[in-house]
Amino acid sequence: MKRPLLPILVCLIWVLLAIVGPWLSLDPNHIHLQSILQPPGSASFLGFDDLGRPILDRLILGARTSLLVSVWVVGLSAVTGILIGTLTAYIGGWLDLVVVRVIDVFMAFPGILLAIALAGIMGPGINNVVIALSVVGWVGFARQARALTLSVKERDHVAAAVSMGTGTPRIILRHLLPLISAPLIVEATFGIAAVIISEAGLSFLGLGVQPPEASWGSMIRDGARYMLVSPHMVLAPGLALMLVVLSVNLLGDWLRDVMDSRLRQAGSDTC
Amino acid sequence: MLRFLLYRLFSTLLVVFGVSVMVFLLIHMVPGDPVDMMLGESARPADREALRHALGLDLSLWVQFSQFMSGLVRGDLGVSIHSNRPVSELLLERAPATIELALAALLISVVIALPMGVLAAVRRNTLWDKGAMAFSLLGVSMPNFWLGPLLILIFSVGLGWFPVSGREYTGSLVLPAITLGTALAAVLSRMVRSSLLEVLGEDFVRTARAKGLPERIVIWKHALLNALLPVITLLGLQLGVLLGGAVITETVFSWPGLGKLTIDAILRRDYPVVQGTILVISVTYVVVNMLTDMVYGIVDPRIRLGNPK
Amino acid sequence: MIARFLFVLLLAVPLLFSQGCSQPDSNIIRFGLSSSPLRLDPRFATDATSSRLNRLLYERLTDFDDASRAIPSLANWQQLSPLRYRFVLRPNRRSFNNGERLTSADVKTTYDFVLNKKNASPHRSSLVLIKYVRIIDPDTIEFELNHADALFPSYLVIGIVSEKAVQRGVNLDQHPAGSGPFTMRDWPEEGRLQLQRRRDKQVFEFVHIGDSTVRTLKLLRGEIDILQNDLPRELVNKLRQDDSVRVANRTGSNFSYLGFNFLQPQFADRRVRQAVMHAIDRKSLVRYVLGGKTRVAESILPPEHWAGNDAIKAYRFDPGQSRALLKQAGYDAEHPLRMSYKTSSDPFRIRIATIIQQQLADVGIKVELVSYDWATFYGDIKAGRFQLYSLSWVGIKSPDILRYVFHSKAVPPDGANRGHYNNPLVDRLIERAEREADMDKRAQLYRELLIILHDDLPYIPLWYEEHFSIVRKNIKGYQLTADGSYDYLSEVSRQN
Repeated sequence: MKRPLLPILVCLIWVLLAIVGPWLSLDPNHIHLQSILQPPGSASFLGFDDLGRPILDRLILGARTSLLVSVWVVGLSAVTGILIGTLTAYIGGWLDLVVVRVIDVFMAFPGILLAIALAGIMGPGINNVVIALSVVGWVGFARQARALTLSVKERDHVAAAVSMGTGTPRIILRHLLPLISAPLIVEATFGIAAVIISEAGLSFLGLGVQPPEASWGSMIRDGARYMLVSPHMVLAPGLALMLVVLSVNLLGDWLRDVMDSRLRQAGSDTC
Repeated sequence: MLRFLLYRLFSTLLVVFGVSVMVFLLIHMVPGDPVDMMLGESARPADREALRHALGLDLSLWVQFSQFMSGLVRGDLGVSIHSNRPVSELLLERAPATIELALAALLISVVIALPMGVLAAVRRNTLWDKGAMAFSLLGVSMPNFWLGPLLILIFSVGLGWFPVSGREYTGSLVLPAITLGTALAAVLSRMVRSSLLEVLGEDFVRTARAKGLPERIVIWKHALLNALLPVITLLGLQLGVLLGGAVITETVFSWPGLGKLTIDAILRRDYPVVQGTILVISVTYVVVNMLTDMVYGIVDPRIRLGNPK
Repeated sequence: MIARFLFVLLLAVPLLFSQGCSQPDSNIIRFGLSSSPLRLDPRFATDATSSRLNRLLYERLTDFDDASRAIPSLANWQQLSPLRYRFVLRPNRRSFNNGERLTSADVKTTYDFVLNKKNASPHRSSLVLIKYVRIIDPDTIEFELNHADALFPSYLVIGIVSEKAVQRGVNLDQHPAGSGPFTMRDWPEEGRLQLQRRRDKQVFEFVHIGDSTVRTLKLLRGEIDILQNDLPRELVNKLRQDDSVRVANRTGSNFSYLGFNFLQPQFADRRVRQAVMHAIDRKSLVRYVLGGKTRVAESILPPEHWAGNDAIKAYRFDPGQSRALLKQAGYDAEHPLRMSYKTSSDPFRIRIATIIQQQLADVGIKVELVSYDWATFYGDIKAGRFQLYSLSWVGIKSPDILRYVFHSKAVPPDGANRGHYNNPLVDRLIERAEREADMDKRAQLYRELLIILHDDLPYIPLWYEEHFSIVRKNIKGYQLTADGSYDYLSEVSRQN
């Protein structure tokens, strides 16, 4: 795949809007009762929602939510998962057996179901969403990190470092991680896309953000209620969500192709 | 061979036990007092104690757990707080709807993904291929809680072809199944394509072509069957995603299945039901995976003969 | 080639499943409900839907006129002394749905059951003044009271159940045994209740459809014939434009309000409560978000109520005044007033709550919105676990609601004074009114009381919601009542 310009552009816009959002003169929570459900037009680019709030502004607020949640969740899951995965693969023994079983048990739950159950039990709110999704997300990273570490830990320079007496943490950080980081970065990218959808899903079910905060998922839910009279309310956040997730996925695809071709060039024997 | 099967069975049982433990912990680590939530009716301390005793909440966590496990083995999953009916009864009542939905989604996704994947592989790098991959990407990126309302907007509200929600008519199944099946079709078509591509490059295919067999037979009879093996394993894994996706799809369409039951129970703090549904769904997933693994193991000689990867 | 074949196959699949013209049985008239009835046993039912359906299934001794004064329903009464009332059942009354005659034994059984503490009937608290129920003859009953209350007849609104059914151990929730104009025909699944009108055997089906969009679509397609309330105003406006249905609306008496928790120190200061009151723009809310016939409310009893006060001066929407009051009470930008606002998970309530949250934010009050499913929410409210909450009182008839809600001794479980409001002046007025035998004087006392409550603001009065009905054009005879009951279903017929 050649350079994916459009996806990168979309992602940049998303991140930019999310970060800069609070400083723009937006009005996402300001209720104008007179503008309730007005369709897109001169007053507002994307129209107003059922409380007279401008949808474009709320969309930008939602972008912030999705960025924050996805970065936090992927960050937490990746750090936890990779740490556990590499450690247990490297150390091996009964620790490895136990951890593998634990991972199996976690993987026995359809991910989104566990997240929904956790978020439902802990109560609504964006913090609980982050926790719930992280509890579900670390497993994927752990599993992959473990598999990668297993395939790499017999390599020559690792063996050399071991025989030199280097401590385990150093081996992991300096020797193992750089080798396995590429596929993990790809995984993290796809992870971001998955978390964006999951957070939106939880918010759609009412378990995520609480009013007046905005999330694309809760906007879709509110919009679906007015589908008969104001379809613009459900179309806008859905399109935004789809565009961003698509772009992130395309980015991930491209990264994977890049990593693959690099590996092929290097002529290594990893899978 | 037998050893492999037994090992698989044993590890599955272990996982099922682990799942039960997790579900139990999940429910019992709830912040807030379940008794408060259940009694609501401004309860006096005496009533509280009575209910706590009746629910066995005054026992130690260990005892509660063993009671839970023994009930599980007997098929007793407790009683719903909201409707006062046994959880197992509720599960049996709602399961058919979800099974119906899942099977329909599976059917639709196979019907879409198989031809699409084959076409993409056979006419590689043409418009067919690009189109199929684009559809696949789209399907993975479109959340089913948006696809659902979108389909409703177009096909129910706009064209009036299908009912908006519920499970009353034969046609009620279509939109929910399409919604649920699309994501699966997206993943599946990719898998079919790459698996078929791999197989098409192998020796026995070249041999078949050299023998002069028509291309159609080469692809459909020889290549595809072999390509389908990894696809079947994928299906087993994707079942989990399907079941998870069913939760949201059932909510969007008010489809009276296990998914909607789970969500309603979670929102209503009906913990016995939450416990029951999560357990059942997880165990189903685990068992299906075990079966898929076993089938794969029986069919794939590499595993059967214990080839270390 | 294969591609083409498969393409055709794909097209055929949805057509196979296409919704046929499986039109429901056209002899059944279908009523769409937004919430399912919970209990068909009138001795226990408290939610609005159940109560409304029970009015169709059972009859009661007394009922109310438009000014909420007690009028005879099943029986006429005579006050023999301040403590004794005699009720004589109407001679031409309906029999029970099983054919048996309704007698005073059934009345006694019903009321004895409710009065019995062991049965935990939620209606007991309004009837504790009954000392004894005495059967004089099959058509005559006497009630003896512990203390005098001129409003006593208006408390006797519980549906009369069949004594024989109760003796046989019938579960009235599943098999209601009443003498009302309707009987229960079938209840195959939770969301579909079938009642049958006794005089002409017309069957009515009450279908529970939670989603407002689905309810609207079903009505437009003729799968449902009647809808009442519980739709966002925008959907109603859209329905007005459709030729196949008729929309009607009228003023209502259901009272929406915000409740304060007086155990929270910030609300003990009246200036704070007044600040909240002035910050809410009720007129705009009513104008833009609620229906056309919704009225801004100033007190729990509507002005047309016989004990209502139509001369109460409305609170003005005045954010400036709010800010001034808050400042006096010691709040400012650095130390803003904070509160949590609890509501149920009903999207309409959340919508209103979000607007109010914004209006309060405009005067510097920081509000956190907390929404729970109904059961958790209601439990929290009854247990006093809240700071500010929003709810409505549905079906207020008798002014004894004032004691039930505002008397200092009426804290749950002895009443509905969930906020622990305590005002000795209010207590005294309530007690004085209860002892007053002259109805005019009593009304005057209530009017004074309503003014005091208006000043003291234990509740923030919001509005009296309108009632609206949307009926398919070929359905005749349905009318709305002031409290949103379904009584006119006894007159409804389908004309083709």
